[in-house]
Order: sequence, then structure tokens, then C-alpha cells
Amino acid sequence: MAATLSRLAPMPRFLLSLLLLLLASAAQAAMTIEIIGGAARKIPVAVLPFSMAQPGWLNPADVVTSDLSRSGYFRLLDTRDAGPLDDPRNVPLPAWKGKGADAVVLGQVLPAANGKVEVRFWLLDAVRQTSLLAMAYTTTPAGLRIAAHRVADAVHEKLLGEPGPYSGRIAYILKRGGRYELQVADADSQNAVTVVSSPEPIISPAWSPDGARLAYVSFEDRKPVVYVQSLADGTRKAVARFRGSNSAPAWSPDGKRLAVALSKDETSQIYLIDLASGVAARFTRGGALDTEPVFSPDGQWLYFTSDRGGSPQIYRAALAGGEIKRVTFEGDYNVSPDLSPDGKTLAFVHRRDGRFLVATKDLASGQTQVLTDTTHDESPSFAANGRMILYATLVGGRGVLATVSVDGRVKQRLTQSGDLREPAWGR
Amino acid sequence: MKHLFWPALLAALLAGCSGAPSKDALIEDRGVKAEPAKPQEAAKPADAAKAAEAKAAELKAADAKAAESKAAEARKAEAAKVQTQALTSAVTEVKPLQTGAATGAVQTHNAAASPLRDPNNPLSKRRLQYDYDSAAIKEEYGAILEAHAKYLKGNKAANVILQGHADERGSREYNLALGQRRSEGVSKALQLLGVPDAQVEAVSLGEEKPLAEGNEEAAWRQNRRVEILYQGE
Repeated sequence: MAATLSRLAPMPRFLLSLLLLLLASAAQAAMTIEIIGGAARKIPVAVLPFSMAQPGWLNPADVVTSDLSRSGYFRLLDTRDAGPLDDPRNVPLPAWKGKGADAVVLGQVLPAANGKVEVRFWLLDAVRQTSLLAMAYTTTPAGLRIAAHRVADAVHEKLLGEPGPYSGRIAYILKRGGRYELQVADADSQNAVTVVSSPEPIISPAWSPDGARLAYVSFEDRKPVVYVQSLADGTRKAVARFRGSNSAPAWSPDGKRLAVALSKDETSQIYLIDLASGVAARFTRGGALDTEPVFSPDGQWLYFTSDRGGSPQIYRAALAGGEIKRVTFEGDYNVSPDLSPDGKTLAFVHRRDGRFLVATKDLASGQTQVLTDTTHDESPSFAANGRMILYATLVGGRGVLATVSVDGRVKQRLTQSGDLREPAWGR
Repeated sequence: MKHLFWPALLAALLAGCSGAPSKDALIEDRGVKAEPAKPQEAAKPADAAKAAEAKAAELKAADAKAAESKAAEARKAEAAKVQTQALTSAVTEVKPLQTGAATGAVQTHNAAASPLRDPNNPLSKRRLQYDYDSAAIKEEYGAILEAHAKYLKGNKAANVILQGHADERGSREYNLALGQRRSEGVSKALQLLGVPDAQVEAVSLGEEKPLAEGNEEAAWRQNRRVEILYQGE
């Protein structure tokens, strides 16, 4: 409803959110984000308030400031006394340099045809006094928040040389009031929407490569069954409801196949389901437990967890067939593989001294690094920019979501009333 | 014969289970490097040539990004649609699941009628518990499994679903697989006792339906289990 309203009328999105928050019960409280640590040297940036053609619209500068500040890579300068500017030539760059800024962001929001708005912005180098970037996005007034995330992505990429993570979406399970909700939210945890609500557990949400569908495992029918649900209309289909357990869905990069773990023939083996025909073809064999498959981004390999060597470890098999190779060797418990978008880094959960920790392995060098210092980490999932990993952990006995940068320096925590678990970052 | 059967079955099942010895990890915590990227450096290869004054020109150049903007627009429209749909109609309500833990509340008026619910009958015993990282059936459950096997062989219309469970430590999906190994162990035991395969379905609920909440061994011990549910329960 909120989205419809704000699309029909150019109503301020943040006011509407505020209204919804006030109306909602305590259980509806939004997630809060806590930053734990950050880069050693944060880039000082001043984000000036955008010049707004209509005062009621969401000012993108607020979202850009919040995104960049939360990332741990930037230090945001106070711009409260700075008036909005819509011409980069009028920015007093020496003055901002004097206040310690390395970069200045300014922009404006203008009416465009058909009730749309145009978001223009500039990124200036305060030290060299040059322009680094000038771009424009067209959107609806309701889309200003998403456009602002894209501005933050562009600024992040220009200043750090890697794509920003701010415009992505996340899916996760929220357990509250005895129910399990599969929710989808912006990467900053705003705009959370419940797409499935069930009295029984839901686990393992997985985004289709185009972001239009979610696969997940639901226990509503006395056993685990794999569903694929369209986010556009909420319709869903049981794609694996075989005898025994059906779980651990993972999408092929072309979105045409799902790898799943089925027990229809033998204890937890991996199968490939062709989504058009519904046919499940067996991929692994042998009496060991095989589960948690994930495709490499090039579609050539399947990584999965197996206890075929006596303890759960991550293995790799070519989809074309051939030898299955063990990938992890450190310790006796390495599970839940996920691959970076470039296919070069494996994230997984590693057990050490009874603690479950998020670790990465550089697949070329074999170098392994533990990134977290918590104790019950689960379900690591790479951001689309490949620089951050989203995972679930326990704090004070309660499930929270957390992110860690791949260098282990920048950590954030997302909390909400109720238990959060099973996060997946949309590609 | 029966006296020999159980130890043999247990030995067979135990042999299939490997206990994983705990070893310390050999993972190296790498030192972190200084953050390399700075705006000054970013400016160098990028567009140092571009002057700050070229507002209009650059916006035109940015219009070369029009294709991207259009794509972004499509994505935004789609995202908005998702939110709208999801807020109005996408919530899929599903019916509740009866688990083994809930059997006590099921149709108590039949308690006297069915041997399955007679507390003095071993058939009313529906729960097997397990050691850590083990799917081996403990000897104490032999009589219970024999009673269920006898009942199933005598009641061909009866079906059971065996729900395996694991404790909460570690990966949810791996724990689902561990629970499956436990329920399949019970399924195999029933088949060895002559129960037709078609009357038994082994599934797993992993760590998702704990009997006891708590982050310690006392709770974990209760949660590592297989529940036997008859169809209709």
C-alpha cells in the first residue's frame, strides 16, 4: 500500500515511512544498524543537501550520507550549515578542503516528463579542485530512495575503485511471534516486505540471478519442500516435493536450473532440477551426506558440502562431470560455501575451538582467512560487489544479521525485535 | 534369533557412522593492509581532464548513460511493483504443521481405543535420542522399534513418517542432512524387521524444531532425536 500511495501522489517517502512506523506495533520496529570497526583511514566526504524542486520529496543527500557513513570506508563531514547548490562551479572547494574534505557531493532533483523526477549529481575532488563524476538518473518520486542508493554506489565506485553495495537487496528469515517470515529489504534494511509468512520454519532463501524470484525451503508440509516464488505477484510453485527431504536450493547463473539436496534415493544427495521440465537429475553418488550446493558464477563448477572424507568439508565438481576435488582442509568442519561474483574467493563457515566463524579462501593461492570473532556464524553470502559478506550470527542468544568486509576490517550488525537468520544478498 | 539380531543391527549401523575427531584449525589470520584508495588517486586515471565548469556538457555526456538510466528505471519500476504486490497480496499463508512434539495434543479421545496412544504400550513411545554427531540407534530403543515394526506389518494401511532432528550447532542445511541420516537409520532398522518400504518415509527437520531451547548440552541432547509419526497424527 505504501508504495502505491507514494507513487500516486508525490508524497514524501520518509514521512510516509515515519507514519507507518508510528502506526505499527513494537513488533514492526525497523532494523537498526550498528557499525563495529571501520577502515583505518576513512575518506572524508561532504555530501551537500540536494537542491529540491519540490520541498516534500526525499532529499537523496540523506540516504547517500547514511549509506557512505555506514560502509565504514568514509567519514562524513557536517553539512548542516551548507545550503543546497545546483552548480558545481559555485562550490567553495578550497573552503571544503580547509574543513578536511577530500571529496564533495552535490546534486539536484528536478521534475521530468510524465510525473517523473531527474536526479543529477556531481562528485568533486576538493584537493585537486576537479570534477570526478557527473551523472543523472530518472525515476519516480517514490523511487528517490533507490536512486539515492545508486548515487552512493557511483560515489563509492569512483572513490574506492570498486562497485558500491548500497542498491542491492537482501532476503532473510525473521522469526517473531511464533511465526516465520521471509522478508526482502533494501541493503540498508529499509523497505522490508514480508513475502512469505508461515507458522512453520522457512530456511535457505536463494535469489534468482535476475532478482525476480526466490527459492526457499518451507516445512509447512511435515517435511522440507523447495519452493520458487515470484516476487512480482507472490505466486509460488513446489519445485522439489519428492519422497524424503528436499532442501538447499541454489540457482544456476542462467536461472534455468536449481541445484538441490534430495533424499529420495539415498541420504541427502545433490540433484539438478530443470525448472522448465521439473525433471531432477542426480549429480552426486555414494552414501555420504552431500548438501549446500552452489554454482560458480561461470556455471562450470558446483561447490558443495560433503562428509565423504569423514568430516564435513567443501568439495568442487565440474558440472560437465569428472573428478570431485576437496577444497577445504583446515580443521574438521567447513560448511555453507558461497562464491564471490568473480568466482575467485570462497566464503564458508569454519569451526575452530567450538566456534563457528566466517572464513574465506582464495581459490588460486589456497590462502584462508578467518574474518569474524563471533561464535555462531551461519550462511555467509557475498554482496554483488564482492567486497562484503552478509551472514547470520547470535548476539545475546538472539539471531542478528551482520556484514564483514572481505578484508575483515569493516563490520556492521543489523538487529530487529525478533530473530533474524538465513540472509541472502541479491545479485 | 532376536537376541542375536539387535547387536548385529547396531554393529552394522554403527559401522556406517564415523565420529569426526576434533582437531585445531590451521587457518592463518592475515594482517590487514592499509587502505589504498584515495580520491586523488582515483582522479588520476579517471577524468582529470574534465573541468568542473562543464555542467551542461557533462550532463549531456552523462546522458550517454541514458541506456543505464533506462535499465535502472526498469529495475526501479520492478522493485516498486514487488513492494506493492508483496504488501498487498504476496503474503502466502500456510497451514500449521503437526510435529512429533505435538502428538500429546492430538485426538486424546481416541487414547483408549488405539494401542498407538496407550501409555502402557511400547507403541506410544515415539522418540529416539542420539549421541553427538551420531546416527547410531541406541540398544535401549530395540523393543520400541520391534513393537512399531510388528504393528506396521499387521496394519498395512498404516504409514509412518520418521522425522530426524539435529541440535542447533553449525549449518542449518548440514544439520538437516544429519537429521536425515538419523531418520533413515530408523527406516532401515524397520525394513530389516520386515516393514515394507512403502509404509515408511524418512525426512528431516534439521535443527528447526528443537524440543528444548538453550545453548548447552542438556538442551542439545534432547534435540538430537527421531520422532515417529503415524499418518493422520
